[in-house]
Amino acid sequence: MLPVVVVHGGAGHIPKARSENSTSGVRSAARTGYTILREGGSSMDAVVEAVTQLENNPSFNAGCGSVLNVKGEVEMDAIVMDGKTLGSGAVSAVRNIANPIQLARLVMDKTDHACLTAEGANQFARSMGVPEVPLQSLITDYSRMRWKKNLGPDANPVECQMGKMGTVGAVAVDSEGNVACATSTGGMLNKMEGRVGDTPCIGCGGYADNQVGAVSTTGHGEAIMKVVLARLILFHVEQGQSVEAASDLALAYMKSRVGGLGGVVTVDPQGQWAARFSSLQMAWAAAQKDTLHYGLYTGEHFTQSIDDPH
Amino acid sequence: MAEGFSTGRKREDQEMNLKMSAVVVVHGGAWAIPDDLAKASVDGVKVAACEGFSVLRGGGSALDAVEAAVRTLEENTVFNAGHGAVLNADGEVELDAIIMDGRTLTSGAVSSVKNIANPVSLARAVMEKTSHIMLTSRGANLFAESIGMATVPTDTLVTEYERNEWEKHKNYLTEVMQDFNCQWAHDTVGAVSVDSAGNVACATSTGGIRNKMIGRVGDSSIIGSGGYADNFSGAVSCTGHGESILKVTLARLILSHIEQGKSVADSSQVSLQYMGERVRGAGGAIVVSPSGEWAATFTTERMAWAAVDQDVLWYGLDPNERSKEQLSQYIYNNPNNHFNIF
Repeated sequence: MLPVVVVHGGAGHIPKARSENSTSGVRSAARTGYTILREGGSSMDAVVEAVTQLENNPSFNAGCGSVLNVKGEVEMDAIVMDGKTLGSGAVSAVRNIANPIQLARLVMDKTDHACLTAEGANQFARSMGVPEVPLQSLITDYSRMRWKKNLGPDANPVECQMGKMGTVGAVAVDSEGNVACATSTGGMLNKMEGRVGDTPCIGCGGYADNQVGAVSTTGHGEAIMKVVLARLILFHVEQGQSVEAASDLALAYMKSRVGGLGGVVTVDPQGQWAARFSSLQMAWAAAQKDTLHYGLYTGEHFTQSIDDPH
Repeated sequence: MAEGFSTGRKREDQEMNLKMSAVVVVHGGAWAIPDDLAKASVDGVKVAACEGFSVLRGGGSALDAVEAAVRTLEENTVFNAGHGAVLNADGEVELDAIIMDGRTLTSGAVSSVKNIANPVSLARAVMEKTSHIMLTSRGANLFAESIGMATVPTDTLVTEYERNEWEKHKNYLTEVMQDFNCQWAHDTVGAVSVDSAGNVACATSTGGIRNKMIGRVGDSSIIGSGGYADNFSGAVSCTGHGESILKVTLARLILSHIEQGKSVADSSQVSLQYMGERVRGAGGAIVVSPSGEWAATFTTERMAWAAVDQDVLWYGLDPNERSKEQLSQYIYNNPNNHFNIF
């Protein structure tokens, strides 16, 4: 059953024109994560590498391709968590770096802290020799177009957000049974400057515990925060629910209690995994036992050999 | 080992329309509070608890009560929140705060905000005036400006004591202690409350860890860690070693035990014990349930706390300490605190 990696590229309503890029992007990221695991790499290495790839892929709302805040700038959030130590690293509202997930990992590995924000996060990046990249290198025509469209007073960013672009994330369990999670995002379309969503908040954007499992979430950030979604799923797992049932219960609760939609990828230390969502779609892919699983719409579950290049 | 307290009193049958008793509990930080700060810390939490209670008595909500109590603590320089906050590595003050409404699960939080006297009120404004939950840093400050919240010079927030402590720590090689972190000042402040309508709320506010890295965000502004409130289970505010609290999402963890049927005291003890064993972190928590049970529990050497329940003012500092005064007697003895209770 081990190792396993599960990746998501955002929950929402991905327009048909972009859905192929989303699907191929998550499949490629899952393959990358799995290659690391298969060669004996750690779950942390696998999730960070998978998410790095998605950050570099302009089709996703993370790193390059991030949505813009109300001022037309990019502020990114990310988190990693290590299920063995419960250690985590997070950055919020960080600017001008290509891979926030790697910076989050540096926070975990190189500081005594769990979260750095804004200018402090950028200063830390400089001290670690992380190169600064120009804002323009993170902005795509698509994200600029979405931003402009949502500047109007009657625009509804939440709906539009759910519409089009998603946070990215991954969970994995390696051959030693260590679990990890990673989540990265540009946040909410046209958000206020300094708005922080669920992604860098431990228990919300992700959580990992070797005794229970790991989760990475996507969807309406404020709703995810209100129910501390990742931690909630793992409470259900602790009480005996399967990863699938736990994920569904928590997502249903989020919908009924606070009216929010989203999606999650969940894995337990034995290698059971689930990719579940209450939104219309979620681009996801998983790799286990040399098989690649993937889907986009509810109910979809395609498989192919991991070594199949297509 | 954790120390816990709770009232044994169960709420009367709601269907009989008896008046619900409103409760407020506050803390002024869980750490090895030195003797020379002990009296001021206990006095400070007692004043804050009464302040919160007077809001409840006046018909205010649990949300109003926790905000009022925490504002009082922020304005008191003996605590590490608002005025009196610790300094970061650059010698500046960066503040974090959260407030949460158990009825709707809405919340407001600010992290790394500067030059604001009452971060808890800014957090409440985020909750009520934006569609977001959390704002950080410059964005949080811009928002404060946009709603006309006054900016105060850093000097008004920094005490001479803190400036001296900062200098001392800067001149010695220091690392965050690995074991239990008890000796570091963790005097984050917080409050929880249940009002007469049965709504619960929490609020937490801090200046963070002395000499922290610039932009370091601890547990206090993170929903589920520094605080959480849910009408179905209760409200929690935490204090202690922030990074440890985050690792176990302490506030949400405590409530998960309550959801499983444990008492507020047992839930707090089990959770703090877990935090000590799993990640070697110490801290404290105050909890209130929707039916009015409450607890103040800590695994550090001391925690300054106070609660008002049924016209009794409870308070403590040392493990197993559980002092009390009749509220009316306390108010009579402290005429300078103009409580609007009677």
